[in-house]
Amino acid sequence: MKLEYNGSEQVPLSKPAVWEFINDPQKVASCLPDVQQVTVHDPKNFDALVSIGLGPVRGKFKFKITLEPQEGGNRMNVRISGGGFGSVVDLLAGADLKDNGDNTTTLDWSGAATMRGPIATVGGRVLDSQAQKLIAGTFANVKTRMAGQ
Amino acid sequence: MTDIAQGSPEIVTEQPAKFAMGKSMKRKEDPRFLQGKGNYIDDINLKGQLYMALVHSPYPHANIRGIDSSEAMKIPGAVAVVTSKELNAYNVGWLPTFHGLDKQMVLADGKVLYQYQEVAAVYAETREAAYDMIELVEVDYEPLEVVNNPFKAMKDDVLLRPDREAKTNHIYNWNVGDQGATDAALATSDHVVKQHVVFPRVHAAPLEPCGCIAEFDVMGRLQFYVTSQAPHVYRTALFLVLGIPEDKIRVISPDLGGGFGNKVPVYPGYVCAIAGALVLQRPVKWIETRTENLTSSFARDYHMDIEIGATKEGKLTALKVNTVADHGAFDAAADPSKYPAGMFGIVSGSYDFPVAYANLDAYFTNKQPGGVAYRCSFRVTEASYLIERAMDIVADELKMDPTELRRKNFIQKEQFPYKSPLNFTYDSGDYEHTMDVALEKIGYKQLLEEQAEKRARGELMGIGISTFTEVTGAGPSKHFDILGIKMFDGAEIRIHPSGSGIIRTGTKSQGQGHETTWAQIVAEELGLDPQNFLVEEGDTDTAPYGLGTYASRSTPVAGGALALAARKIREKARKIAAHVLEVSEHDLEWKDYAFHVMGAPGKTITMKEVAFAAYTNPGDNEPGLEATLYYDPPNMVFPHGTYVAVVDVDRDTGETKVRRFLAVDDAGTIINPMIVEGQIHGGLTEGFAIAFMQEIAYDEAGNNLATNFTDYLIPTSLESPHWETAATCTPSPHHPIGAKSVGESPNVGSPAAFVNAVIDALSPLGVRHIDMPLTREKVWAAIRTAENAVAAD
Repeated sequence: MKLEYNGSEQVPLSKPAVWEFINDPQKVASCLPDVQQVTVHDPKNFDALVSIGLGPVRGKFKFKITLEPQEGGNRMNVRISGGGFGSVVDLLAGADLKDNGDNTTTLDWSGAATMRGPIATVGGRVLDSQAQKLIAGTFANVKTRMAGQ
Repeated sequence: MTDIAQGSPEIVTEQPAKFAMGKSMKRKEDPRFLQGKGNYIDDINLKGQLYMALVHSPYPHANIRGIDSSEAMKIPGAVAVVTSKELNAYNVGWLPTFHGLDKQMVLADGKVLYQYQEVAAVYAETREAAYDMIELVEVDYEPLEVVNNPFKAMKDDVLLRPDREAKTNHIYNWNVGDQGATDAALATSDHVVKQHVVFPRVHAAPLEPCGCIAEFDVMGRLQFYVTSQAPHVYRTALFLVLGIPEDKIRVISPDLGGGFGNKVPVYPGYVCAIAGALVLQRPVKWIETRTENLTSSFARDYHMDIEIGATKEGKLTALKVNTVADHGAFDAAADPSKYPAGMFGIVSGSYDFPVAYANLDAYFTNKQPGGVAYRCSFRVTEASYLIERAMDIVADELKMDPTELRRKNFIQKEQFPYKSPLNFTYDSGDYEHTMDVALEKIGYKQLLEEQAEKRARGELMGIGISTFTEVTGAGPSKHFDILGIKMFDGAEIRIHPSGSGIIRTGTKSQGQGHETTWAQIVAEELGLDPQNFLVEEGDTDTAPYGLGTYASRSTPVAGGALALAARKIREKARKIAAHVLEVSEHDLEWKDYAFHVMGAPGKTITMKEVAFAAYTNPGDNEPGLEATLYYDPPNMVFPHGTYVAVVDVDRDTGETKVRRFLAVDDAGTIINPMIVEGQIHGGLTEGFAIAFMQEIAYDEAGNNLATNFTDYLIPTSLESPHWETAATCTPSPHHPIGAKSVGESPNVGSPAAFVNAVIDALSPLGVRHIDMPLTREKVWAAIRTAENAVAAD
């Protein structure tokens, strides 16, 4: 089961400030909804334990997250893989940063997730909207946290 | 003579009345089942047993970079984690498949080839601890490109099985018949009808999943309790895989909650339980979950192209079938060695095709392994569905009534034994008679009139016919074997001094009622009371060797063995009777279920009296009264039937209502009409599910989308139609009691009747075919597409 998402957020911060924020694993991880625990290995690799509830599939998913900042500071790719109770999720997300010239930044993001195991079947009926909520929630949190800085 | 019939026979048979056979005797096994006191695998618990659970792969195709069980071993009660590394060290990492054409991984060895493949086995003090452990076994996967259908597989861009010598995803080609003559006949036929037909991947889904308990007793002997339809085959397979001598293996198959073919293969869980019991020196219990059951094997998944030639008058001229078979990750079909595509050659059905040709290619994909026979004798359902579906399409094209096309082309009863163009010798049958009985009983003429009126009003009513022929009862040793063992069956009968007795066979009932029907066969042959026979199956220490119960082979093979063993007893009894009556045995006649002195009316002795004499007054004869006999059938048996479905399709919603369904079966001699009727009801319900609601579908990423009963639907009594049944009787000329088989007929014959009925209902709209399952979404879409096409014209 492959799902694709995209969206756009307007962040009231300068592009360099946004770039700095999204290069900080601790800060990025704290934006994941329902995050329980974050273990940072190095500036680009961290693990996050997240509570998931998809229909009858409920529990904690362990994700390995890798930040892949692209040359030039205009794009950040994020690889997320992991899962729990026999299910796995592989997600490749990316965000393009656009300086709006008025001390705000546009974050155009997109993501493609491949789900395997019980979440793809049992949770399949509610998966799409839940995954949408999770990803949109993450980027909305990014905006909120940054705005609060 | 006491009347032993207790039930009321619903099926009115054409066969003559007998003493014990042909009667609806109540099932002797039912008192324990009806009280909830059956002894199923999960009812068995051994002292000190460990519980095993399996780690499954979420990936359909991936390399395994590493397995870390350290966290799992921290769970309280954790005992061990086993992976392919440990199994390989004992040389049991791979299993041969039953037909010997492939081998399969016990636990993923270096890579996984399908989603839910077994990757590691965990052992714990409690079931709960075992399931907690599997959550914590960390497997590092490297995902690989997924091949989710055989058409992608045949390109060989991604090689799935580098372990095999042939570097291709193609497993085998099988063909039968005369290709040249068939092509020539098709080229000169007035009409050639072509259709692509898919029989989707489905699952037998017995309500009791598989399971086992393995124990090495104090003498080092393996006591293996397992849900097996073929206990002796398991014993020999365990010898071949593990190298344990057969005298050191006891396989016990307890009460089974359904099998339908699912309990024929040897599954990885069994090997892991035995390996755990051996190494840990504790009994190990493993009970499959529903998801494990649904994802470990499958049936069908045939993509078939059929071509039928016919004259203007509707006489069939040729049949050509080309099939692409999706066998999943391992070719684990439990087919006989010489029949990799099973009995698919029955695809010429009940019809007298002058020439025919069938070709099949099988491929590996990243799907669950198998291709087990689901309630049919190895691929008979696919074949019967195809020909019966195609006959309706031919009739439609020729603007003939489907019953008339069939009548015109039936193999005639005087043609038997009939050599089919695809190499079977049909033993007997009377297809036209069975169809006539069905058409009369269903009121075919009136239904056609009703349909014409409804069509005039725009209503969608359909009548579907299936006049199938099966090939069952594998089988004659010159053709059939599993792991090299010929497919005969043994029977042992011991008569006690009081005239009661014990019957043992190498078969294994999963609900078929052998404890009753076996007693009826023996009682019929010996004139003894069937209530007084104990029937024992499933324990390899006591039962004579036999290949088990599947492929509708129990009555054709073991049933024959029982009748002949009983006759052997009768011959010995004749000597003892002669001694008791002080006459020559040649003066004795077996008549009306007793020995009579010819020419001396009133001078008789019953078998019960002879039994007592065998232990008290045998004279010069060997004392006792028992026999063991192995029966190697001379041919297969060919049951047939006519099924008629009447449906109403809701034009707005696509909902199909099966208004009536009639099954007229010809299973030859019937042993117990009530049990036969029960088997037909069960098989029709399964056929109904296959036709309308079941499919193990995979998405593009290789996810199995039918892993539980919310996605893989099982009809309850609420969804199931009312079943009407009847029987005709054409006894098998070569079987000792003239019996054929019936357990699989309803599953084989009914899907085509259902689909033919729905397509018949939609035919005024121009719909020619829809592949199963005929869900309301599919039917609705077909109606809308057809209506839009009409509107566009």
